[in-house]
Amino acid sequence: MSQTRREVLLASCVSSFKIAHMKHLRIVLVCLLWWVILAPWGYAGQVDLKILYVNDFHGFAEPYQPTGSASPLGGIAYLAGAVDRARGKQPSLLLSAGDMIQGNAWANLFRGKSTIDVMNAMKFNAMVVGNHEFDFGPQVLKKRMAQARFPILGANVKGLPGLKPYVIKNLSGVRIAIIGVVTQETPVATHPRNVAGLTFSTPESAVQRCLGELKRRADIILVLSHCGYQADRELAARVPAIDVIVGGHSHTKILQPEQVGRTIIVQAWEHAKALGVLTLRIEDKKIVGFEGSLEEISPAIGPPNRRVQEIVDRYDLQTKALLNRAVGEAAVDLEGQHVRERETNLGNFVADIMRETAGAEVALINGGAIRTGIPRGRITVKSIYDALPFDNYLVAISLTGTQLKQALEHGVSRLEEPSGSFPQVSGLTFTYSRKAPAGSRVKDLTVGGRPWEPGKEYVVATNDYLVAGGDGYTAFGEALKSASDYSSVGGALTSSKLAYNDPGTWLRELVINAIKARKTIAPQVEGRIKAED
Amino acid sequence: MRVYVNEKPVDLVPGMQVKHALISAGRLEEIAAGRKVYDAWGHELGLDGVLTDGMKISVR
Repeated sequence: MSQTRREVLLASCVSSFKIAHMKHLRIVLVCLLWWVILAPWGYAGQVDLKILYVNDFHGFAEPYQPTGSASPLGGIAYLAGAVDRARGKQPSLLLSAGDMIQGNAWANLFRGKSTIDVMNAMKFNAMVVGNHEFDFGPQVLKKRMAQARFPILGANVKGLPGLKPYVIKNLSGVRIAIIGVVTQETPVATHPRNVAGLTFSTPESAVQRCLGELKRRADIILVLSHCGYQADRELAARVPAIDVIVGGHSHTKILQPEQVGRTIIVQAWEHAKALGVLTLRIEDKKIVGFEGSLEEISPAIGPPNRRVQEIVDRYDLQTKALLNRAVGEAAVDLEGQHVRERETNLGNFVADIMRETAGAEVALINGGAIRTGIPRGRITVKSIYDALPFDNYLVAISLTGTQLKQALEHGVSRLEEPSGSFPQVSGLTFTYSRKAPAGSRVKDLTVGGRPWEPGKEYVVATNDYLVAGGDGYTAFGEALKSASDYSSVGGALTSSKLAYNDPGTWLRELVINAIKARKTIAPQVEGRIKAED
Repeated sequence: MRVYVNEKPVDLVPGMQVKHALISAGRLEEIAAGRKVYDAWGHELGLDGVLTDGMKISVR
């Protein structure tokens, strides 16, 4: 019985009482009896709906011990077990705010297929594409969308058929519109080929357009946003018609739901280390209350979902088989032992691939990025993972000749003992003097076979670690700082100093692909770096 | 883009993450020692969380 009908019934009783006075007390009592009987249904317009959510899984299927943590966290099968328990008998939705299929080898080696298999088993209701969903290219993303037994959303992405702007779910008679939006920076957060032909409008304009279409078709507006918490707050402030934002991208651990105006904002950290639970109290199809929390996930919280665990285990076995697969042949030993003190053939090979991939004039990496060598013979995927264990990606920055020399000077500034900052290079040669003071050791620098020019701009390929100042390299940061031309291209921030940026492809994957293409490799030490004393 | 780590400005490539800002500010080792990173609203951040221009984070 609805609230209105109940009120009419009561009014009728009161009216009867006035008219018939005590004489009709019996009728009044009958009315009251009916009201008492129906009291539990007095909240018939009230219902609790549960929104369960995750974001930024990045293929972390197994529990792991995060830096600084005392015990392992996460594990997608344990998260699935928590979802089963949280669902209970309440009407609920299970949502993902994106970045699910790329990151860890468990996902990458299968181009996200393993993740979607798990999500299907967990019966997800909807997901928004994150920027990393584009990392394997549009053809792979189409396959993942076809594989998914739940809608994949992207209201602000144009040019990818199958990506829905929104979906409407009916829970206990309440119509929930779920609109998906992804960061407008996606085109500069992945390789350009991955987003060729696609356009990304502002999340705000896409949501406003959807709201226009959803008039009188939805009771609750929920935005699944892969834009980051700060952007979600701004979106909520600008579009107050949004009831709930379930966010991702910034990996924010929002322990209790936040509110901007009347919009509720939640996000569940990263890597399946937390399950978000938001309970909405709905009355007359409007939110009248809410409560929420994050449940930390670990093997200690309870039994895993067996079906999901089986899928995880199956792909684990396949991962091991794939890691032992040969990708090519090394005709010589690939020397990784002395990368911290001299030029090596493995350092040359990796630097060459980086320079060629980025279309740069020079490549420079820290020797510490290479952790071991690879013996002559069969090269397996695992041997490349062992040699290049870090999740580094390729970036190319435009440096002046002076900045390039400064970077090399830094690379040979700590020669007293092997140092991770010692450079491995491509596209240039130089000599250094051990006896000269640090900062004045580099001599006879050539780039592309020509003498180096201090005022000339050179595109230098490197890894994200050095760009961020890792191992004490400051030249790349200085170049970025000096760039006065940061601009918004289609809403994405970029700069002419940034020549190449592909956060979606690990450096080791580039190396694997290069070896596959060449079949047999025999890099040599060529005198790129010479010590004169 | 420029972000701030405990009020120190660091310049990064757009799309870079919390860990890059900590490397740039020389504070990544503090995470291994048990410290955590928080945004301007006091929420803990994952090291792979993507930063946006002007964002302020702190290690504590």
